[in-house]
Amino acid sequence: MKVVPDDLLYSREHVWVRVEGALATIGITDYAQEKLGEILDLDLPEVDSDVERDEPFGSIESAKAVVELISPVSGVVINVNEDITDDIGIINSDPHDTGWMIIVEMDDQEELDDLLDTRGYQEFLIQETEVE
Amino acid sequence: MGLWRLLPFRKCSAAENMAVDEAVFRESIRGRNSPTLRFYGWRTPALSIGYFQEYEHEVDSEACKRFGIDFIRRPTGGKAVLHDRELTYAVIAGEDSPLFPPDILKTYRIISGCIAAGLATVGITVEMKDDGRAAAEDRLRSSCFSFPSRYELLAGGRKICGAAQMRSHGAFLQHGALLMGFDPVLTCAVMLPHGDIEMQARRLLNSVTTVGEQAGEAIGEERLCGALREGFERVLGVRFEEGTLTPEEEALKTELMAKKYTSDSWNREGGKTEWISGL
Repeated sequence: MKVVPDDLLYSREHVWVRVEGALATIGITDYAQEKLGEILDLDLPEVDSDVERDEPFGSIESAKAVVELISPVSGVVINVNEDITDDIGIINSDPHDTGWMIIVEMDDQEELDDLLDTRGYQEFLIQETEVE
Repeated sequence: MGLWRLLPFRKCSAAENMAVDEAVFRESIRGRNSPTLRFYGWRTPALSIGYFQEYEHEVDSEACKRFGIDFIRRPTGGKAVLHDRELTYAVIAGEDSPLFPPDILKTYRIISGCIAAGLATVGITVEMKDDGRAAAEDRLRSSCFSFPSRYELLAGGRKICGAAQMRSHGAFLQHGALLMGFDPVLTCAVMLPHGDIEMQARRLLNSVTTVGEQAGEAIGEERLCGALREGFERVLGVRFEEGTLTPEEEALKTELMAKKYTSDSWNREGGKTEWISGL
C-alpha cells in the first residue's frame, strides 16, 4: 500500500494539497513519484504567476517522458520550493513533505470540494491499479 | 475491434510536425478525437532537442546554418535527434483508451511491440532492451541514438528506433524515429559537445543501424508505413481508417506553429522560461 497521509487532500491527477487557511501547498503523491521513477528535471512556475485548476502548473521529466503537473486549485503562486530545484531527488525520497513544489494563495476554496480525502484517494488508486 | 485514425505519411516543416503532434494530443485530452497513429517525414532536415535540453549546450547553431539544418524543441522528453532520412511516427491516445495503462514504461513496451511486429513483416528481427544503459563518457551523450533506453529496439545489437513521450490528464503522445539513413559525421557536427568528431562518429555508427541495412534492401516510406500499420493492427487488435485533422486540430496547429514552434523563446529557451498554457 502506498503512503497516503491523512492530513492531505488529493486530486485524480496524483497531486496532493495541504490546506492552511487560504494557502494550498502542492506536491505530487508517493504513488506518482513511484510510477514516474527517477525524476530527472523539473519546470515550475515563477512566484506571482497565476495557476488555474485543471491546467498545467509545471512539468517533470522521467524516462524520456515530459509529464505535465495539473493544478488542483486556482490562484497565485506565492512560494516555490527552491530546495527541490537544487536537489531534485527530494521529490522521489520525500514527496509529501520536503518535496513540496509550490504554495498557492487560492482564489476559491470551494474548488477543494472536488478533491479526495485519504480514503477516497486510496480507493481511486485501487481502481487505477486494476486498469494496469 | 477498436477504430483508430491513421494520419498518412506526409513531409512537413519541423514546426508543423511538432504543432500537429501537440494539437492532436491536446484535443485527445479534451476527448474530441480518436486514438491516432501518424506517420511523417521532414521537408528540411532538422535537429530536434528534448523539452528539458539546453540549447546552448546541445546545439551547434553555426553548424546547423552551414549545413542547412532546421532546429526545433520537442514537447516530449529525451535527447537530440537529427531528423533527415527517417520515418517518424506519433501515437496519441486519451485517458479512455483501454489499450494503454497510465504508465510511461508500459506504454513504451506496448508501442515497441507494435514496431517490432511491423519490422518483422519486412524481415527485420529486433530485440527489445528490457533495461536502459547510460552513455559511456566518450560517446555523444546529447544524442538520442548514442545509447538505448528501456524498451527501445535494437537490431543486430544497435539502436534502430528511438522514442519519447509527453503525458497530461491521462493522455499521452509518443513519437519515435526509425532511421532509413544515417550520417554520423553530420550528426556529431551539429550536436554539442564536440570532441574528436571522427571518433565520436565512429562510436555513434557502432551504436546505430538503419532499416535498409537490417533489411538488406532499400525500403521506401510507403512500404515501411504499411508494415508498421500492420504491426499496430496485429498487436493492439485495432483497425485503422485514414483521416485528416479535425477543424479544431487544424486551428490549434496553426496557433501552436505561430506562438510556440516558430518562436525563439520556446525553441531556444524552452518551458523553463516561458510557460505556455491555455492552448
